[in-house]
Amino acid sequence: MFDVLRGIISKVPADYVDIRYEKMWETKIVMNKREIYQLGENSGDGYVVRVLKDGGFSSIAFTKLEDADKALKIALENAILISKNSKKKVKLAEVEVVKDIFIPPLNEDPRKVTIDEKLELLKHYNEIPLRFENITTNLHYWEVIREKYFVSSEGTEIREDLITCEIRGSLVSFEGSLVQNVRVGIGGSTGFHKLRNREDVFEKKTKIVLDLLKAEPVKAGVYNVILNPDMAGVFTHEAFGHFSEADLIEDNPSMREKMKIGAKLGNDILTIIDDPTMPGQLGFYKYDDEGVRARRTYLLKDGVLSGRLHSRRTSAEFGEPVTGHCVAEDYRYAPIVRMGNIFIEPKDMTFEELLEKLGNGLYILDAKGGQTSGENFTFGAQYGFEVKNGKIGKMIRDINISGNLYQTLKDIVGVGNDFELGEVGGCGKGQLNIRSCHGGPHILVKNVVIGGV
Amino acid sequence: MLDKLIDMAKKYTDEVEIYQIDYSVSNISFENGSLKDIESSIQSGISLRIIKDGKLGFSYTKNLIDPEILIQNAIHSLKGDVKVEFSFPERKDIKILNTYDPEIENLTNTQMVEEGKRISEILSQKTGTQINVGLHKAVTNLRILNSKGVDYSVKTSVYYSHAEAMYPGSYSAIFRLVLDKKFKEFSQEDIDYITFLYNNSKKEVKPKGGKMKVLFLPSTMYVLIWRLIFATNGKNVYEKTTPLLGKLGEKIFDTSITIYDDPLNDNLPNARSFDDEGVECKLLPIVEKGILKNFYYDLYYAGKMATNSTGHGYRVGDWGQESIRVRPSPSLEHLYMQTGDKNFYDLIKLIDKGIIVAGALGAHSGNIPNGDFSIGLSPGLYVEKGEIVGHVKDSMVAGNIYEVMKNVVGIENRAYVYNMGIFPSVLFDNVSVAIKE
Repeated sequence: MFDVLRGIISKVPADYVDIRYEKMWETKIVMNKREIYQLGENSGDGYVVRVLKDGGFSSIAFTKLEDADKALKIALENAILISKNSKKKVKLAEVEVVKDIFIPPLNEDPRKVTIDEKLELLKHYNEIPLRFENITTNLHYWEVIREKYFVSSEGTEIREDLITCEIRGSLVSFEGSLVQNVRVGIGGSTGFHKLRNREDVFEKKTKIVLDLLKAEPVKAGVYNVILNPDMAGVFTHEAFGHFSEADLIEDNPSMREKMKIGAKLGNDILTIIDDPTMPGQLGFYKYDDEGVRARRTYLLKDGVLSGRLHSRRTSAEFGEPVTGHCVAEDYRYAPIVRMGNIFIEPKDMTFEELLEKLGNGLYILDAKGGQTSGENFTFGAQYGFEVKNGKIGKMIRDINISGNLYQTLKDIVGVGNDFELGEVGGCGKGQLNIRSCHGGPHILVKNVVIGGV
Repeated sequence: MLDKLIDMAKKYTDEVEIYQIDYSVSNISFENGSLKDIESSIQSGISLRIIKDGKLGFSYTKNLIDPEILIQNAIHSLKGDVKVEFSFPERKDIKILNTYDPEIENLTNTQMVEEGKRISEILSQKTGTQINVGLHKAVTNLRILNSKGVDYSVKTSVYYSHAEAMYPGSYSAIFRLVLDKKFKEFSQEDIDYITFLYNNSKKEVKPKGGKMKVLFLPSTMYVLIWRLIFATNGKNVYEKTTPLLGKLGEKIFDTSITIYDDPLNDNLPNARSFDDEGVECKLLPIVEKGILKNFYYDLYYAGKMATNSTGHGYRVGDWGQESIRVRPSPSLEHLYMQTGDKNFYDLIKLIDKGIIVAGALGAHSGNIPNGDFSIGLSPGLYVEKGEIVGHVKDSMVAGNIYEVMKNVVGIENRAYVYNMGIFPSVLFDNVSVAIKE
């Protein structure tokens, strides 16, 4: 494969060219309640080329090898067009030339498990909530195998495989006209073993979706809250993490000003890290889609902004070290700056100590979608509990949180000593990243705006 | 080539359908007045569906190198036992629509770059803030064939440009989109709209929350309509997850609200006379004068409900999944809301005290099946005595569409294409707004 790719880019009269070829195999089984909606194994493939010429950087994705010449011509023309019309000349940060083949170790390769067995396992977990007549389910098994080949005009040649599998979906409960739902997901990057013997997860979510029917809607207002690791992770990812992605703030001078290295943005107890190199985690990879080795990156250290996530382009633009965070969804896209495994570093408080410190407020669990506008963020929670005098009380539902990023970073006043990262991901920044992973410890946050329904 | 594929697959199965798509796209982006990126894509793919003994098989490929593998993958998937109660449709004389303007072929990236520069410069000068601009051009060929004689194809051209005036220190912005089948200038009216909303709301204000009038713009109406799209989807009718079950013919919204799906209107790009399953398209009223008229179906869910497909089977996945990789499912791709009688600027004058939802955060969270929404304002413009006085931060608008959409104060006399459909601005009364003090 490397020979073919080298051949394609060798003809381009540019300052830098790279090409990525990906072959992707996908196994999908979708169940709606007890009906199988979809089942199958398929594959797709394609090429993505990026061209740098006179400071203009442009990309093109194409499906057919016979379109390669046409595609390269378009990419080169576009790079020249950018070069002529842009005030800023793109430079790529210097990186080490790498030649490597990296096939990640797996604990039970999902390709060696038959589709019948996958279906049986999915049905088995599906039956746990379906014991109850007032629950319906949408669950799927999804396995994505990406075999990626990357070649650059600098001589880098890498093959890396990414193997992801998950069982995931939603449980919906009813009572009269009341409808409640929770999400459930297991899986990861280390093989099929992550999907076995996980009945407890489905039991727990079944109980929650039933309990939600009796829970009370939260009253809108401002509360002190404890966020569980999943909620803390979504906050870290959505509200903070995206603005650590250098490509998002590169051309927004006012955001760049706020996100200056050395700025004291958070409370002293707050340290945030993105680390794609953590073995066994969903967000793991060795090289990004520019052929740069991934690095553990401190984004916030003791409340001070200390780094950000980069592509080679943004690394040069900001004059900061490369981090290896430029990643594409699949063969249809050029890579963009993405998070790998992002989390708040655990500190010393036990959950009981957090509850005690909270006194009165809310304990909020498991995220349900989130979004940010830079300084303001909004996200939903699947459920929560009232806390009175440090004791967990009755269950609440319809919880949506909104806040200001900078204020919230200062309002994090307690960080737990536990730690949990998510098993399934899905960040939609133009492209979907199913390996986007976040988590952390329990955290205590002051003055959170909760909009009920 | 594809006819041959049908014949090959027919040897093993009762019915065969092929979906073939190819497209080429250019995306150009300007950030803060500077040309940032030009991205292109030339993609193609084929998806195969077969029916054998009442079971559905499915497969796809990007490069049709070996048709036999594609067929075998579909046959292999029959073991999933996906039971269907439908047949692929027979060929009909469908309407020929005007979906492609050859002028799009003459539109060069250089011209689009010039237009992007022009928009950036004018708006930057008028508003004094950061302007981001995006431009897009695409040509798509779609063909659907089946073993019952259907062989429809459509060539589509799309051009759009959009501009955002951004509030400093955030990604909150005033947004406008212009869409056509060929190049269309971002007009003076579009520039005036952004300038008016942005310049009058530069100041940050901190009013008190509570129940008040709330104006949703065409660009944020999707927050409400999303819940209706969910609730009228044939899938959710079949699964009984919609609160509108058994409510056909009942009044669910204010009588001023009429919402319909019109695939045949070819004034706008992407008109269709057949859906992604080769079913003939037609106009479908969803809500007429506040009364719920129809649910929408694809072949699969129509079969489950023993009714007919309404011609709404489209291959749309969540989060922009590639069309060949997803099965068709019920989808409203040409949704319109009927306009009212109020000029946009007059609608604002009707607000004694209220909020304009100019951008929404978190529309996808919350209890969508129940019709609940709870969105962050990004931005929210605060209006007092008919005048915009500033923008609010740290605030949320929340409610349930089956309550909120009963309290209509006024509807704009024009509609604009945005996320999920073509909508006018709509002013509602008595909506809950939470603002952090």
